[in-house]
Amino acid sequence: MRKLIEFQNIVKSFNDSLVLKGINLSIHENEFVTLLGPSGCGKTTLLRILGGFISQNEGHVYFDDIEISNVPPYKREINTVFQRYALFPHMNVFDNVAFGLRIKKQDKNTIEQKVKKMLKLVNLEGYEDRPVTLLSGGQQQRVAIARALVNEPMVLLLDEPLGALDLKLRKEMQIELKKIQQEVGITFIYVTHDQEEALTMSDTIVVMNAGEIQQIGTPTDIYNEPENRFVADFIGESNILEGVMLEDYKVKFDDQVFECIDYGFEDNLEVDIVLRPEDIDIVPIEMGRIKGVIKSSLFKGVHFEVVVETPYREWIIHTTDKVEVDKEVGLHFFPEDIHIMYKMGTY
Amino acid sequence: MVGLKKHNFTKFFILIGVLSFFYLPILSLMIFSFNDSRSLTSWSGFSLQWYQALFENREMMTAITTTITIALVSTFVATVMGTLAAIGISKSRRLIKELVLSVNNFPILNPEIVTAIGLMLLYSSLNIEKGFMTMLLAHIIFSTPYVILSVLPRLRRLDPDIAEAALDLGATPLQALWKVIVPMITPGIISGALIAFTMSFDDFVISYFVSGNGVKNISILVYTMSKRINPTINALSTILVVIITIVLLVVNLYPYITKKEIKEAE
Ligand SMILES: Nc1ncnc2c1ncn2[C@@H]1O[C@H](COP(=O)(O)OP(=O)(O)OP(=O)(O)O)[C@@H](O)[C@H]1O
Ligand SMILES: [Mg+2]
Repeated sequence: MRKLIEFQNIVKSFNDSLVLKGINLSIHENEFVTLLGPSGCGKTTLLRILGGFISQNEGHVYFDDIEISNVPPYKREINTVFQRYALFPHMNVFDNVAFGLRIKKQDKNTIEQKVKKMLKLVNLEGYEDRPVTLLSGGQQQRVAIARALVNEPMVLLLDEPLGALDLKLRKEMQIELKKIQQEVGITFIYVTHDQEEALTMSDTIVVMNAGEIQQIGTPTDIYNEPENRFVADFIGESNILEGVMLEDYKVKFDDQVFECIDYGFEDNLEVDIVLRPEDIDIVPIEMGRIKGVIKSSLFKGVHFEVVVETPYREWIIHTTDKVEVDKEVGLHFFPEDIHIMYKMGTY
Repeated sequence: MVGLKKHNFTKFFILIGVLSFFYLPILSLMIFSFNDSRSLTSWSGFSLQWYQALFENREMMTAITTTITIALVSTFVATVMGTLAAIGISKSRRLIKELVLSVNNFPILNPEIVTAIGLMLLYSSLNIEKGFMTMLLAHIIFSTPYVILSVLPRLRRLDPDIAEAALDLGATPLQALWKVIVPMITPGIISGALIAFTMSFDDFVISYFVSGNGVKNISILVYTMSKRINPTINALSTILVVIITIVLLVVNLYPYITKKEIKEAE
């Protein structure tokens, strides 16, 4: 796929506080890229730089290999779904969605057709004449999506577009948005701090923290091969422990040596280790590699979340079997379930 | 219970007293503008002769035209300037904003007579001949700050993302201003314009000092006539009261009317 957008070493500060610390990122045509990170890590700021609403202190932004840092927002082939919708309160739903087309002076029939089609797509047929101020949060959000999409931009920026929706509608809209993206065939840059949403929708996930990119990769990469403790912790629940890589394929933690499949680290290097809760099995005590006592078990719908206490730590384990609290058990996992990461700041 | 009722009655009585203190003079003036005779105290019958006299009096009609022309033109200019200034102020940094706002409040808090003398001295020192234009300019100057003050709160409540959304959808900054910002602050602009209009319409102090060459607005005319009591003044004042009342009603009812529109749309 063709490279469409490139951020080169973007640095941005507001009143002396550094918000983006050198972002390098390439985005391709038709890609669904998600910026994922905790609140305040600079996701919206990065989008605003791409939209042209603020300019970076350092670095370059390329669109189709052309530097666009000095192009005003209204000349960029990018549309945005704003975090707080930013609908025009003095207009009804139809006029909001038609705004961009009217600015481009398209003829009346075309506008009417396109707006109707778009409202159908976001499930708001028949709402044309409603004032937007009287819509629910979820409906407003869908108007915002329609208003941006109707312009058929090459790139759509979505800043937490589903934040205000309830779980069910959120799931529906996730599927709907993904479908729209594939059908219309445009690049989506999507911001969220919901890791599950990021995992289900994206082609590529960009994990950010405190103005820096932590990892760029496919959802499976990010989930299975987190590059550091932050990513492992942010993506899904994890058992994250400290250990020492004795030599290739041998790691020591909790005063025990385990076989693993990672190699290429320095011998005796201190590392972080991830064990996903669903990769650990609860087995009879004599069959376990680690022994512990079941402290609690919580039903979570699909699985039980079990906490097992050992002298060193508490393990979180996901299992579909019911277990007895206070029972001594063994924990079992395979070498490939142990994922070794460099400690943050040492790679 | 009885005590409470009595209390309410006292309140009612005081209210009536105060209201009549305010409005009886105006009411009597209006009534006697229809009087048959010259008297301002004894009623001798209904007639429209003073209104007729008013409309036949060239000097008065010129004053009315001058007043209305100046009020309309100064309101228009002050509204456009004040609105643009308010938008500029709302976009500037905090320090500049506070500085400009205190400068803006100065003419409002300043006694009118000081502004009047200041303008008079300015015109004289620049050797500008006093007349219609100087009066118009003065009216624009003293009403613009009120427009700024009434538009600013609207801008402050505006979501900053809204302007960005307009740009994002392809609108140039000017289009964004005209199609999005201005419609959203229209209530503030209208109430600013109405205030500017009333301020200009009944201004005496400043107008008196900055006009000349026989150019008079209604207030100045009434002042120069007040030594020779003449019921045409009553007729004129009645018309003024009616106009100002209508304007004030519109100013005060406007928010309710717009709110009702929104409710009806629902
Ligand atoms: N205009 C501004 N002036 C000053 N500081 C700002 C401005 N915009 C953002 N910041 C700061 O920059 C940091 C990053 O903000 P940003 O909005 O990009 O975060 P975010 O990742 O989008 O967070 P969230 O998930 O809460 O939306 C925050 O600490 C914020 O306070
Ligand atoms: Mg944000």
